[in-house]
Amino acid sequence: MSPASVLDVVLAAAVLAVALVAVLLPSRRGAVSAFLVLGVVLAVLWARLDAPDIALAEAALGSGVAGALLMDTLTADPARPGRRAGRTAVVVGLLAGAVALAALTVVVRAVPDEPSLLPAAVAEEIHGAGADHAVTAVLLNFRSLDTLLEAAVLVFAAAGAGALVRTPVRAPDPVPAPVTALARVLLPALVLLGTWLLLAGTSRPGGAFQAGAMFAGALVVAFVAGARFAASQGTAARAWTVAGVLAFVALAAGTAMLGQGWLVLDPRWAGAAVLTVETVLAVSIGVGLAQVFVANSEARRVPS
Amino acid sequence: MSALLLPALVLGPLAAGAVAAVVPRERGRVRAAVGLTTAALTALACAVVVGGVATAPGHEVRVALAGWEPPLGIVLRADAASAALLVLTTLVGVAVSVTVAVRDDAGGGPAFWPLWLGLWAALHGVYVTQDLFNAYVLLELVTVGAVSLVALGKGRSAGPALRYLFVAVVGSLLFLLAIALVYAEAGTLDMSAAAGRVAPGPLLTAALALTLVGMGAKMALFPLHSWLPVAHPAAPAAVSAVLSALVVKAALVVLWRFWVALAPAAGGAAHVLAVASGVAGSAAVLWGGLMALRQRRLKRIVAYSTVTQVGYLALVLPLMAPGGEAARAAWSGGLLLVVAHGLAKAAMFLAAGVLTAAYGSDHLEDLRGAMRHRPWVVAALGVAGVSLAGLPPTLGFAAKWQLLAAGVESGQWWWVAALLAGGLLTVGYTAVVLRAVSAPADAGEQAPEPPPAAVPTVQAAVPLALAVAAVVLSVLAGGLAGLVADTAPRGLA
Amino acid sequence: MTRLELLLALGCAVLVVGLVAHLLARDLVRRVVALNVASAGVMIVLLVLATRGTEPDPVAQALVLTGIVIMAAITGLALALVRRVEAPEDEEAP
Repeated sequence: MSPASVLDVVLAAAVLAVALVAVLLPSRRGAVSAFLVLGVVLAVLWARLDAPDIALAEAALGSGVAGALLMDTLTADPARPGRRAGRTAVVVGLLAGAVALAALTVVVRAVPDEPSLLPAAVAEEIHGAGADHAVTAVLLNFRSLDTLLEAAVLVFAAAGAGALVRTPVRAPDPVPAPVTALARVLLPALVLLGTWLLLAGTSRPGGAFQAGAMFAGALVVAFVAGARFAASQGTAARAWTVAGVLAFVALAAGTAMLGQGWLVLDPRWAGAAVLTVETVLAVSIGVGLAQVFVANSEARRVPS
Repeated sequence: MSALLLPALVLGPLAAGAVAAVVPRERGRVRAAVGLTTAALTALACAVVVGGVATAPGHEVRVALAGWEPPLGIVLRADAASAALLVLTTLVGVAVSVTVAVRDDAGGGPAFWPLWLGLWAALHGVYVTQDLFNAYVLLELVTVGAVSLVALGKGRSAGPALRYLFVAVVGSLLFLLAIALVYAEAGTLDMSAAAGRVAPGPLLTAALALTLVGMGAKMALFPLHSWLPVAHPAAPAAVSAVLSALVVKAALVVLWRFWVALAPAAGGAAHVLAVASGVAGSAAVLWGGLMALRQRRLKRIVAYSTVTQVGYLALVLPLMAPGGEAARAAWSGGLLLVVAHGLAKAAMFLAAGVLTAAYGSDHLEDLRGAMRHRPWVVAALGVAGVSLAGLPPTLGFAAKWQLLAAGVESGQWWWVAALLAGGLLTVGYTAVVLRAVSAPADAGEQAPEPPPAAVPTVQAAVPLALAVAAVVLSVLAGGLAGLVADTAPRGLA
Repeated sequence: MTRLELLLALGCAVLVVGLVAHLLARDLVRRVVALNVASAGVMIVLLVLATRGTEPDPVAQALVLTGIVIMAAITGLALALVRRVEAPEDEEAP
């Protein structure tokens, strides 16, 4: 592989510096803000590493939704002075970290500079896989079980967070006028962008995850703007959260019963199946992430 | 048929959990009905798959999902070891489901059902997946389910749940880095395919070390154990049983599978790491046993006992290291021990739950008289304790016998010493519990205690049934151990 | 130093920074942030591995997408637990 260019070195230094700032700042507000900056720097790194899908997902999920979650934690309790670890613990921790890092640096020098078996295997089989974009084909066909289970992780994280909420959920009230105005602009923009990412995902970067993150962003904006539907934790919201997993399982069971085998997609209708599952999955990911956000938001809103 | 049902063992409970999540929380009975139906169907499917494994040539059932073989696709494969784990999980799973269906409180309320079914599905997946990254996703699903279930406990359970989540996620990240290193060298994520494509060197050594530490944290291997005696007792009774009996085993199974597939290629470095695992395991056996002796609360005693038992299971790595006959004995002994411990520990935690519900406390002082008022529950504690200590005629005895044989065969007598010392400590803390519950209720200067609160008979019978299963299964232990040993992975030969 | 070595070392450094900070921090939100930093380190390693060869490796990229969503879900659960831990005492009681 090519020697490191100046740009690589600068980018690497920036990522490391922002990561250090994110963990070293003593206040919550500082740590969270630095983490959001890290998301932006990482998105640049992902683009530089030929990973536009990840850059999109990072921008939407990593800093968008996770950032909104963390920011909401701040508004809940902005000034909580951080307690410090003991001096001995700090010394031991830093020493252990230094040793681990030195060892890992030596280890990764042994990584062979040749591609794995998989890119070639993907290129060979992608025709008839239901998506021309390789990452989408991997997620929705070759390794569809991972995607199904990952959607399940989100479902049960939302269920777990929801179980921690012991008071009924209400949207914030009253909402300042500028927030409502901003929401009127942002909401359709995010929904449009999400839909475009979803449809584009079959042939170019984008797909259910990125679209879902956009939908989640739209719901969070709606929630902050006081929209009652976005605050719902009712049956409909929970049904949408699990719809992706159920649709995926239904597809799996259907293919098994038809005798093709679990999750085996026939090239004749693989494209339609992939797009259908992706659409339901995107909405589910959006609603699921928003449910986690709402659960968080409500866990704070303790009636005093 | 069994190949058709293998993925259903994962996807069935998963879908049922999703359905249960949609049922409104106020409809607790509906959720319980979904849970019980799923438990029954899962048990049936497990029986078919286990039967398939027993009768299939080579004793394995294999499915390439989405029709893609490795390196592109993900393979699920049930072997004799998976079958043993499926049997354990079915017995414990049905017992726990019945317990919670009878008394909602034992599971922490209606939120229990979706989380438990999702966790159950993930456990099945861990037992049968052949793919490294798929194992990572499944372990995260296990973590999310288990942590959320701990948080359903009464009182301040969120703190222990969060601590558990932190440890589990750190373990997962270390494992994910290990997966990346294997992928960097082998170019595939399939465990058996990767085995043939790695060579001794820093990448493989680091991957083994990261997996040992990562899974060690997740299964509370000494000195990474301190979260367990906090988290397990904080959970609702039925959840404690699932955590100790099954959830710690998920990380253990991943560690063992990873080790058996990849350690033989690593040469001497793997041997050094296996010895480190054995040292940590021996320390866990002694430390956990001593701490269990010092506790005054029943659930804490049972939780420290889990620290001890995880120590035993860590000894399996060095016992397998020399290869040959000893390695196969260690492999089958380890799996028998997982089953024996799972049954005994589930029985103990469920019994502790019944006693806590009846007496309003799990302090040993408050449980005096339990022997007279709740003889069957105390009997479950006693029988489970005997199996844990590895005394005949229990499954625990058969398991430890195999491990002792492996230690003697390969001349590793120092691990044998740890096994025996642990047995003595187990007898010790079981005796402490039994003495406390057999003390007369009106001992001391206090007035006679009020009669304990009523608990459904079914709930009291379940722990005893599990404990008795540990005795009954000991009859089959010889055949089971033989089957597991005969079909041991090629890496052990 | 090649680009591969530099960026792999970067991933390991970010992971170690995140893990050490996670273990040393006492504030719960900062611990969650540190865990996310550590996770970003592992993702860097995976994505750098994906750049070997002429075409980017779609499988490694798919793994990272999956990992990012999982981490977001876990962050949400962790923050909900943080809220519950820091809630006033009376609300925690059953």
